[in-house]
Formats: sequence, C-alpha cells, structure tokens
Amino acid sequence: MTLANRRKSITAAVMFFAVLLLIVELYPIFITLLNGFRRDIVILSGQKFALSQLTTDSYMLVFKNTQMMKAMGNSIVVGLLSTLLSVGVGAMAAYGISRFKFRGRNALAYSFLVFRMLPQMSLVVALYMMFRFVGLRDTIFGITLAHSSFNVPYVIWMLIPFFTAVDKSYEEAAMVDGCSRFTLFRLVFLPLVAPGLVVAAVFAFINSWNEFLYALILTGTKAMTAPVAISSLIGGDTLTWGQMCAASTVMLTPVFVFTLAMQRFLIRGVSAGGVKG
Amino acid sequence: MKGAGGQGSPVPFLVPALLIVFAVLIFPIVFSFVVSLFDWPLSAGGGERHFVGAGNYVDLVQEKEFWNSLKLQLGFIFIAIPLELLLGLSAALLLNREFVGGKVVRALILLPVFFLPVVSGMTWRFMLQPRYGALNNFLLAIGTPEITWLGHPSFAYAAIIVQDIWRMWPFVFMLLYAGLAGIPTDVLEAAEIDGATFWKRLFRVILPLMYPTILTALLLRIIDALRIFSEVYVMTEGGPGMATTLFSLYTHRQAFGYMKVGMSSAMAVFLLVISIVFAVTLVRKNMSLEKLEDQGGNR
Repeated sequence: MTLANRRKSITAAVMFFAVLLLIVELYPIFITLLNGFRRDIVILSGQKFALSQLTTDSYMLVFKNTQMMKAMGNSIVVGLLSTLLSVGVGAMAAYGISRFKFRGRNALAYSFLVFRMLPQMSLVVALYMMFRFVGLRDTIFGITLAHSSFNVPYVIWMLIPFFTAVDKSYEEAAMVDGCSRFTLFRLVFLPLVAPGLVVAAVFAFINSWNEFLYALILTGTKAMTAPVAISSLIGGDTLTWGQMCAASTVMLTPVFVFTLAMQRFLIRGVSAGGVKG
Repeated sequence: MKGAGGQGSPVPFLVPALLIVFAVLIFPIVFSFVVSLFDWPLSAGGGERHFVGAGNYVDLVQEKEFWNSLKLQLGFIFIAIPLELLLGLSAALLLNREFVGGKVVRALILLPVFFLPVVSGMTWRFMLQPRYGALNNFLLAIGTPEITWLGHPSFAYAAIIVQDIWRMWPFVFMLLYAGLAGIPTDVLEAAEIDGATFWKRLFRVILPLMYPTILTALLLRIIDALRIFSEVYVMTEGGPGMATTLFSLYTHRQAFGYMKVGMSSAMAVFLLVISIVFAVTLVRKNMSLEKLEDQGGNR
C-alpha cells in the first residue's frame, strides 16, 4: 500500500469513529429534544416513534405551569443579579490583584482559585442554618448571594489575564493627567477589558443557571430556580417526561448557543473551575 | 512583575470581594466546623444542642453507612476518571488531524459537557426505565428480557458511572486536544521521520510533553468528582437502598433525612479537607499566576 493510500484509509477510519462517537454522545441530547415534542402519555405507553406524534402540547403545559414559569423567571433574575454582582466585584478585585504590588498578592490570588473548587455540599448545610437565622432562606437575594460564592472567585480568576494584558503606558499617561486609581479603573481599564467582562459574565450566568444543590436546599416555593422545578416534574407518581424534556430544552437552548458561540474561550472558561452545577 | 502598577493601595478594590468571600465562604466553613462539634438536631425551634467535641467524628468512623458512602465515592473516582482520561486521550489523538467536518465534530462532541447536570441525570433515568426506556427497548428488540436497571444495586451504580463518563470524557478531550495542539509539529515530524513506531512516539514523545495537561485534567476531574451530587440525586436519589449514596448524597441525607446537622457537618468538614488538598495541589503544580498572566487577553 502506498503512503498516500494509507493516509486516505486512516482518514476514512477516523471519520468513521468520529461519526460513531458523535452518535453516542448526541443520542441522549437528541432524545431529550425529541421527547419534548411528544405527549407524556405517548412516551409512557412506550409507543414507537412516529412523525404524527409530534406536538407542542408538552411545551404548552410547561408554559401554562405557573410554578415552572415562576422558577424560570427566578432563574433569569438570580442569574443576572449574581452575574452583575460577581462581575462588578470580581473586576475590581482582579484589577487590585493584577495592577498592584503588595504582600500576600500570590496567596490571595491562589486562595480565590481554591475557593472556587470547594464542594458546595460542604458549605450548604452551614449556609442553610445561617440563612434561616437571618431570614435569607427562600429569598432571591439569598440564593443570589449563595451563587456568588462560586461566581466571584470564578470571575476574578477569569479576568486577571485580561487586566494584566493592558499596557502600562495607558496607566502612566492617565496617572500623569492626575487620574485617581478609581477613575483609571473605570474610564481606562473597564473599556479595555470589555471582551473579558463579556466572557466572564456569560460563564458566570451559566454557572448560576445550571446550579442545583444550593437552590434545592436554600430555596422553597418563593425563590425556587428552574433546575429544581424541572427535577420535581419526575419522581414518585409524577412521571411527566414530555414536560420535563420540554422544560429542559428551554433551559438548554441558551447554554448551547453560548457554548457554540464561545468556542475560543471554552478551555479557559472550564479550567477556571468548570461549568458545573 | 509584568504590568503591576505599584503605587496606591489595592485595598479599596479588594474589599467588596473579600466581604462576599467572608460571608459565603469563610464564615460557613468556620461555622461548619463549630457545628460538627455539637450534637445538633435540625428543627425549626432550634432543638437541644450538646457539645460533643470530636464525638460526631468518632461516631462517623464507627458507622457502616459512612464507610459505604466513602467506598462508593472512591470507587466512582477510580473507575470513572481513568476511563474518561483514556477515552479523552484516544479521541484527542484520533481527531488531531484535518478531515472533512473535523471542526464540526470537535465542537459538537463537547455538547454533553454543557448539558445541565440535572437534565443529564433525568435523561439517563429516562433511558433506563423499564417498558419505555431506550435501553430496554433495545434489549427487547434483540430478544432478551428487560432489566429494571435503576432498581438493581450494581446496575444502578454502573449507570451513574456511565452517565458521568458519557458527560465528562469530552471535557478531558477538550483539555488534551488543546495540549496536543500545543506540541510543535516539527517535534512530532522529527520522531516520525526517525522511523519511531506509533507506540514509541506516544510513550517517548507525546505523553511526556503532555504530562502537565494530563495532570491538570486529572486533578480537575478528581475535584469535580468529589463534589458530584445533582446528577445522582435526580437519577437514583441514592438508591436502591444505599447503593448509589455517594459521599455528598450521604452528607445531604444526614442533615435533611436524619436531621443530624452535627454529623452532616462533620462529613462536610471531612470532604472540605480532602478537596482543599487536591485543589491546592492543582493550583501549586499547574495554575501559576505568572503563567496565567502570560496568557494575556489573547486566548
């Protein structure tokens, strides 16, 4: 066999395996999307798939489910608030760490990273009792604050490289003009690191959007977020698979859109602590 | 130090973040430790609390269920993560070439990583259902009797592992693929021209060069696997019996099932210490601030 032929057959084999991998990896996602367009009763009776089963009934039921709609609203509000809070606070801290020399600078930066990696389970019981004591349990503010426990360290670590990359001459010129450090931060740095802010904000929002454990323990009927509401569609005697899949599809859509749009930043985004609930 | 301005005080910029970190991280950690020293029942009125010192920790190590959850947790890590690394590495080596649709394949294969963990757990639960689940439909089609997968202890445990492998090997792939792309092509070509076999090139050239990336992936996966909760919680609720009650699920059950907050906090502290050990190892070895700063905003 000539080298060129060998190369060709290797490429063909690779393509075959690639397609096989894709089928395995995308099958569960595909059936989630598909079953959202089938009715609960059709799914539960184990009928073979037919095009005539396709309907938006499950979506209609989800959109009419006031508890679910409220939970999705809460998810959006909590996601936006916690993104706003952590990007605001995190950008300041990242600026403080990357543009100043001070003792304990490294230790501080590293402890933020370690904080991001702590398991939620080891904090949530304490948070539950604290929140109950101060009346933050089952409030939007409480769950937003809880989500910033992973988002603030996350945003800081994401933004440090963006702040470090800003050229010194900007800073020096502004300082000569008599700018205060805060004006400098606001008027010079924030616009320059804007792309970083967008990336950090998107990932912070997804972190909050996907989060389950804090929401399960720290919220009740009032501040419940969508992942908890979706999980309550299945269990015990309620097996509303169609609605579960429809609601899940609604939740997944923004995540997948962002993921595919942000390919370039995915690796840094996930290494800084994962996009995990 | 690149870019550090020097003058002025960083304190005003750091205070807001430090306040939040104190309120939702440091204080709860200290509080967990304090609670772990008490016999502290979870009840609305507060309940009777007794200081028991290390009593909860002593009780824990004498509990069969505690060791069971630890064993399940370690088994989960030791089975799932090596397989994820192996799959991720093989796929990275395989897909590290140009072919038609390669870009699309590499992008789509990452989607499971971003599948909401809760949704993943429920989708797998769905696929493993008797009568209408996909796997049983397949079994029936080839003429074997169907199995109530999640009703059987070993199958349920295998199922949560398979779920994790399915969802997270692409994550390993993503890191290793980037690491592989970072190896200069002339190094690889030189080895190929020297006539080294594929295995020789793999073990002598590729793996040594990729060692830091592999270590990062391994540590990230361990840290992540230590805190696994939501997928398993919605998939099996820790059952049948205690067959899938991993460490976090048992910690949860101690507090909100048995109402023993003291015991639960002792477990939380235990998990925290282990996680900090791994996180600090990872940060020390592979995530230096200098390296991060060198990346600049370009990546």
